[in-house]
This record gives sequence, C-alpha cells and structure tokens, in this order.
Amino acid sequence: MLKRYPTLYYISSRAVWYFITFLAAVTINFMLPRLGPANPVDIIMARTAGGLDTKAAMEKEESYLKGFGLVELNKDGSIVRDASNKPVQSPLIKQFFNYVKMCLKGDLGTSFLNYPKKVTEIIAGAIPWTLALQIPTIIIGWIIGNILGALAAYKRGVYDGVIFPAALLANAVPFFAFGMLLVYVFALQFNLFPAIGGYAQDLMPSMSWEFISSAAYYYVLPFFSIFLILAGGQAIGMRSMCIYELGTDYIKYAKWLGMKEHKIVFYMFRNAMLPQLTGLALSIGIMVGGALITEMIFSYPGLGMSMLTAIQGNDYPLIQGITLLVTLSVLIANFSVDILIGFLDPRVKAGIGGK
Amino acid sequence: MTVEVQSSVAQTGTAPADKSKVIFEVQDLHLHYLTRFGSKIPAVSGVSFSMNKGEILGIAGESGCGKSTLVNGCMGLFIPPLYPTSGDVRVAGESIMNRTPADVRKNVLGRKVAMIPQGAFNSLNPTRKIKDFAADMISSHEKGSNKAEIYERLRQRFKIIGMTEDILNSYPIQITAGMRQRSVIAISTLLNPQMVIADEPTSALDVTTQKAVIKMIFDLLDKDIFSSMIFITHELPLLRHVADRIAVMYAGEFVEVGTTEQLIFDPRHPYTKALMGSMLSAEPGQKQKKPTAIEGAPPNLAKPIQGCRFAERCPVARKECRVNKQEIRIVAERQVRCDYAN
Amino acid sequence: MKILKNLLKSPFFVIGMGLFLITILVAVFSPIFYNIDIHTRVGAAYTNPGGKFILGTDHMGIDMFSLLLKGLQSSLYVGFMAGIIATVLGTFLGVYAGFKGGWIDDVITMVTNLFIVIPQFVILVLVSSSMKEGRSLSLIALLIGLTGWTWSARAVRAQAASLKSRDHISLAKVNGVGTIGIVMLHILPYLMSYVCMVFIMQTASGILSEAAISMIGLGPFDTVSLGTILNQAMRSEALTDGAWWAFMPAMILVTVISFALYMINTSMEGVFNPRLRK
Repeated sequence: MLKRYPTLYYISSRAVWYFITFLAAVTINFMLPRLGPANPVDIIMARTAGGLDTKAAMEKEESYLKGFGLVELNKDGSIVRDASNKPVQSPLIKQFFNYVKMCLKGDLGTSFLNYPKKVTEIIAGAIPWTLALQIPTIIIGWIIGNILGALAAYKRGVYDGVIFPAALLANAVPFFAFGMLLVYVFALQFNLFPAIGGYAQDLMPSMSWEFISSAAYYYVLPFFSIFLILAGGQAIGMRSMCIYELGTDYIKYAKWLGMKEHKIVFYMFRNAMLPQLTGLALSIGIMVGGALITEMIFSYPGLGMSMLTAIQGNDYPLIQGITLLVTLSVLIANFSVDILIGFLDPRVKAGIGGK
Repeated sequence: MTVEVQSSVAQTGTAPADKSKVIFEVQDLHLHYLTRFGSKIPAVSGVSFSMNKGEILGIAGESGCGKSTLVNGCMGLFIPPLYPTSGDVRVAGESIMNRTPADVRKNVLGRKVAMIPQGAFNSLNPTRKIKDFAADMISSHEKGSNKAEIYERLRQRFKIIGMTEDILNSYPIQITAGMRQRSVIAISTLLNPQMVIADEPTSALDVTTQKAVIKMIFDLLDKDIFSSMIFITHELPLLRHVADRIAVMYAGEFVEVGTTEQLIFDPRHPYTKALMGSMLSAEPGQKQKKPTAIEGAPPNLAKPIQGCRFAERCPVARKECRVNKQEIRIVAERQVRCDYAN
Repeated sequence: MKILKNLLKSPFFVIGMGLFLITILVAVFSPIFYNIDIHTRVGAAYTNPGGKFILGTDHMGIDMFSLLLKGLQSSLYVGFMAGIIATVLGTFLGVYAGFKGGWIDDVITMVTNLFIVIPQFVILVLVSSSMKEGRSLSLIALLIGLTGWTWSARAVRAQAASLKSRDHISLAKVNGVGTIGIVMLHILPYLMSYVCMVFIMQTASGILSEAAISMIGLGPFDTVSLGTILNQAMRSEALTDGAWWAFMPAMILVTVISFALYMINTSMEGVFNPRLRK
C-alpha cells in the first residue's frame, strides 16, 4: 500500500532504519563502559576517596552505586548486601532496562565529579557553545568548499592550479594538528587571537554586547581550524564530482543543444552535489569528533571540554551522557540528509519500490 | 521498410543542378587537432558535399575515420583542441564558420543545425524532468517566453509527433530507453532546425525500438519539422532503408559518395567494396559473398601520409597508389577517390 | 604492474610514497644511529633544543628526540595493525556482500551502515575510558581496526559488485567452482591493487585515530606515541610556556604522515578513475 506513495515509503523506511540504529546505539553506549574488568565506581572511588574517612567514603560510594544503577535496591532504597556486606550488583539486563527507563525520562544520570549536579544540567550548559561553533562552521565550510571545488573544476586553469593544491594541503592536515598550529602561530607568537576559552576570563555570560563581542573574538581560531579543513575536503571531493559530471553524455548534449552556460553550470553543480551530500552524511560522524577535539585544544567551553574533563576524571555518567547525545545528533543529521537527498534525486526514490 | 526515392531529390554524386533547393553545403572543409606539443593533426581533409531539402545523407565508416569530428565541424562547434583549418559550411546560404562561440551557441546550435547524439538515451539530465530539460533548451535560445507558454508548446509538439504528456512530466529514469531516445529526437528538433545530424541514433536499441525511431525520423521529415538529415552509422543495412545518398568516409576523407543504390549494389572504391563485403546480411540483389574482414587499421594521421590513405590495406593497391595523392573523380555517376576505380 | 608504472608517473604518488617510506625507514633504523632512551632524565625540564639535545627535553627532562622516535614507532605500529585488521575485515565483508548480493548483501550493508553512523570516535572513547590499565598499543590498534573497517567494506563491495557480472566469473560458476574458489581465484586478483589502496587509507586513518584518542588522554597506558606526546604537551601547558619543541615535531610528523598517505590516495584515485585525469 505504501508503495504507491514513493516519498512516504522512502521516508518511513529510512525512519525505521534509523530507529533501529538508535536502539543499537543506546545498547552499545550502555554496554561498552561496563565491559571492562573494572567497575566504574571502583575506578572513581580509587581516585577521589583518598582524603575521606571511611564512613564518608562509604556513603559516597553508596550514592555512586545507586546513581549509576549498578546495585540491587531494597524496598526502602537501601542497598542489598551479601554475606560479606558487599553490595550486590544487579544483573546486566536489569541495569540496562533501568538505564533505558531513566533515559526516556530525560535523566541521564548524576555526574560523579560534579556531584550532585545532573548530567543533563552540565550538558545543557555546554551545548549552546558547541552548537554555536559547529553548526555554522560545518554549514559554511560545506558550502564554500563545494563552491570552490566547482569553480576549480569548471574554470580549470589558474583557479584549479591554486585551489586544488591548497585544498589538498588543507584536507591532509588532521584537525587537532591544525588547531594546535593556529594556537601557536596566531595566539602565542603573534598574539592576535586568544588561545584558550570561549570568552574573556573576567566576563560572565550574558547577552551584553561586551560579552558577545568577546565571545566572537574567541570564536575566530576554533572556527578557522575546523572550517579550513572541512572546506578543503569538500573542495577536493566536489572538484572530482564536477569533473565527472562535465564528462557525462548529458552535459555534452546540453552543450550541443546550445544551452546557456549558466544552465550547464547549474546542471553540473546540482548533480555533483548529490554524491557530496551522501559523503556529508558519512562524514558527519567524523567531523563531529574532530570538532570536539578542536574544542578540547582551545579549552572552548562546549561539549568537547566537558568530555575531556569527564574523561580525565573518570566521570562515567557524564561521558556516557555526552556520547549518547553525540550519537543521537549524528543520527538525526544523517536522517535529515537522507531525506534531503530523497527529495533532490529522483533516482533514489525510484530505486526503492517506487516505479 | 523502404524509402521511395523521389526523382527530384535524388542526386547523382555531383553537385545539384538546382541551387535553390540546397539547404546545407560543406565546401572543402579541413579540420585539425592541436596537440600539446603544438603539432596539427588533420582530422578532416577536404570534405565537400551539399544537401537538398528533404534529403537524408548517410555517412558510413569505421571508428576513428573522422565522423565525429566532421559532425562538430558541421555544427560550427569548435572546442579546443579542435580547430578549423579552412573551408566553409553554409546552412541555407549562411556561413556558420568564423563566428564567436556565443554566436554559435545562440544562433547555430539547435536552431540551424541540431544534433542527436550517440547513446541518446543517456543524454538526458537524470535529475530533471523531460519538460524542464526541453524548456531549458527553448529558453536558452529565445528571450522572454514564460514557463507556461513553453510547456504548452512542448505539449503541442509532443502531440504532433505522437508522444504523450506523461513522458513530458517524467524523469528519465521513469521511462524506457526507447522513449528517452524519442524524447531526445523531439528535443533536438524543437526549434525546427534546417539540418539534423543523427549520430548512431539506433545503435544499442532492440529492433522494434529501432523501427519506431526511424519511423519517427521520417514522420518529422514529412511534417517539415526539419529539412534534411545526416545519418551516421556503421550499419550499412540500416542505411539502405534510410538514406537517399551515402558517403563513405575513411581517414578524414570521403572516398565515395553516391546514391544508396549505387554504393550498396555497385561500389567502386576498394574500401567501399570491402565494407560491403564485410556485411553479414545478404541484401536482395547482391551476390552471396563470404563476409571478409578488412585487415589492418586506419592510418595514424599524426604522420603525414603520401599517396592514398587506404593504400596500406587496399587489396588492389599498386605502386603508384602510395605516391600519388588521390583526388575525387566522377566514375559511374558518383564521386570516387581512387585513380584506378573503374 | 602496469598500474605501478602509471602511479610512478604521478607526482602525487612519488612525493607521498617517498615521504612515507622515509618515515618508516627513520622509525625502523633510527635505533642504530641514535640511542633512544625514554626513561632517563638527561636534563632540566623543558630545556631548549640545541647542543646535546636536538629537540630539547620534555617536562620531566627526558630527551625529546628519543620520545619522538619512539612515538613514531608506536604510532606507525598502531596504524599498520589497525590498517591490517580494518582492511582484512572490510575486504572480506565487502567482497562477500558485493559478490553474493541478495539478502546477504542487505544484511552486511545494514551492519556496515550501523557502524558508519555510530561515530567511531564515540566507541573509542567509551571503550578506552573504561579500560584504565589494559590499554596497550595492540589493544588500541584492535579497537581502531574493529571500528574503522566500514570504509573499506563499502569501497570493496562496490568493486566486487561490478566484477560480479563479468563473463569469466559466469564461466567459473558454470564450471562448478564454489564461492570461495571464485572469490580467491577470480575476484581477488582483480581487486588486489584496489585493496592495496584501501590498506593505505586505513593505515592513515588508523594513525590519525590513534593520535586523536591519545591526545585526549585515552591512549596507550605505558608507552609513548605521537598522540601521547601531544597530550603531555597539552597537560603540561607546553603551549603556553612556549616550549614548541614539546609538541611541534610530533604534530609535524603526524601531519607529514597523514599528508603523505593522502597524496598516495589521491594519486591512486587518479589511476583507478581515469576520468579524473586531465
């Protein structure tokens, strides 16, 4: 029945697939940290319990254990203990369902390090910074990179001679290396831009002009370290795609028909963009990772920094919360790109039970 | 399917007596390729012919004989490294050489001379509906028509040639190869060009579709949607059914030009004879011969060739052939480029 | 081997391969020429380069040059191991899916897409952060290999699928050769050159992934790698102190390696996809 409406069929089949993937992701997100030999709580206790006396340490441990959902609880909320008074670990399945229940309620757990702050609270504080940095950077980088690539392919000559090697170089440099380079050169040697942070140390976040301009100033280096590499990669890919399109039969035919140049450029760009979009979907996961690392280098107060401090402090609930969020956003981004391609390329819908 | 050859249209191999019916003329056309090192490779050397209204000229020859280059020349489309050396091409009396690329694009391509490319069914933009692709064609040549008018024109035209509106509203992937081929033919002829060049329009199609395509071509010719056609193919049996005259091309030159009957049943040039001999199907009226392949390969035009270009592979070549350049002579009422053809 | 000749014509390939080979040679043969010692304090912390210490010392006074060489060896090791694992896994799955088609293809494609969409970075972080003690170079290589195979699977699958319809395969099938036989004898030889290109890319990506994960502190536990050097530099504020020798060389090395491998890939793309040639 659905096959009669190819668009709807396409969207729903993609939605189903992404949902299944999401379930898998949640499962993986849950399982992986618990696969290690060490109990996450033991690890953090080993680190932080040093200065506390036994009773305080035990209380802390209990709250961690409860918060992380590791142990069986009695009706009254106290921890079930076995013969030697050690807490009894819940079976993994039970832990998992607990975890899913909590997630659905929007509770991603309580941070170990920032106890008793909730993970969601910490994330909420960091997310605006990350979004503000990544979304414009990725969009602008993608657009400009593709335009440069198309330019290099269509005009050839000088354009190609300059754009191609530059893009090649930009693309080959790893994200973090580039970040460090920019910090070193522009921040430390020439003192043009700040090296660390999202805004001047002495300011508090507010909507004041002072704050926003300060934030913008701190924005520049992180922006460029992601943007340049991304644009470089896109330019290379788009250039290849455009060269391919320019050699196709239909472009030759369009020229033979005497079509105007801007039409031909439009055809080339539109059709070359499609594999680029697919490529975008594939690389969103990688880009997000790279951007997070960039944030870490610049101590930019986004999710990257939160993750770094969480990793260094063995703050498992926070690590887990951030990874889940990152995975979820990558899935959503991929889904959106899939839908977009479905609308732009009739061949995709025709391939799925449409005809 | 046979074609009734009208006596007013049939030509001997020589230039037509009645100049007023001439719609397309190629006069001693020379085209060359410029290599990276600056040397010129003569791809087309001294081709001359003319065509009347309503005539179909078939051009036959092996791959690499210069057919495609000639086609580009006939359209005035010179994209480097292809350049015109000398000669003229006239459509309805007007020369299309020595024009700026912008002029060629706007006024010649699609308007005076149109092309139906090889592999036409891959020539449609896969992400554009047929009607939009066709509309792009029209709007590239005519200013100021709005979309609605253009679509209406397309509907009318498609109706005239017997294609449904559904096809117009489809994407290429949604219609069959045959329909795409016919759409391409329709699009090429939208602006009623005087001359249409069809490059292997029926290759890689099944026999039924081939017949439909040829029927469409005759239909368009009848309805005066275009005036004359150059039909390029390496399938000689096809030419028998379609062409009024045939020109056989080898290594950038015409080696024999004459009526279909003349060339198919009574070829005079050694190469034409060899081509006919390599046909597999027996035509009525031809003696049953064993098909023979033509040994060797076309000459490398980068090196200057003395004498006849076919001499290397000619079964009846003489000593003089490799020395004396062969010019076109009139033998048995058609043009032959061989001093020794009888 | 015609492919090799074509490759050598490309400046990209020559430069890229040259750089890469030099790096490997340095990593392998340097112990002969230089006494690598990453444990002894040989000078004050963060001494400038010059004199006895070509690249100065790190925050603990250990010879930076030694650290760099050892780090290079480790990073290359991880890259290669991860590359081998990812290539073998990806090629196997890709060929099987591409050749068999049908539901096997669908299932493998679904699994591949699953691994693509869930960021490799995320998985690496999750696993590494929970294994404090056991993080060895090999383990990290294993992890990177097990999460990075998707690219090669996709690439190889496309190639295998296009080969599937070739005549000599049908001939072999008709003659009764089993799937494994067909794969080994008829498909793999054609794919060999492609698989080599895939391997190089996977190695590159392996080196980069390792550097990335080590840089944020989730690297190997007791060894030095290029990434850990960078991590150490960040942690000890070498950046702000101006001790460029503590991180620049490592960074440059990573960039050079990634650049070289990327060059090789570009040149190979040019050879395998003739349309890109001018």
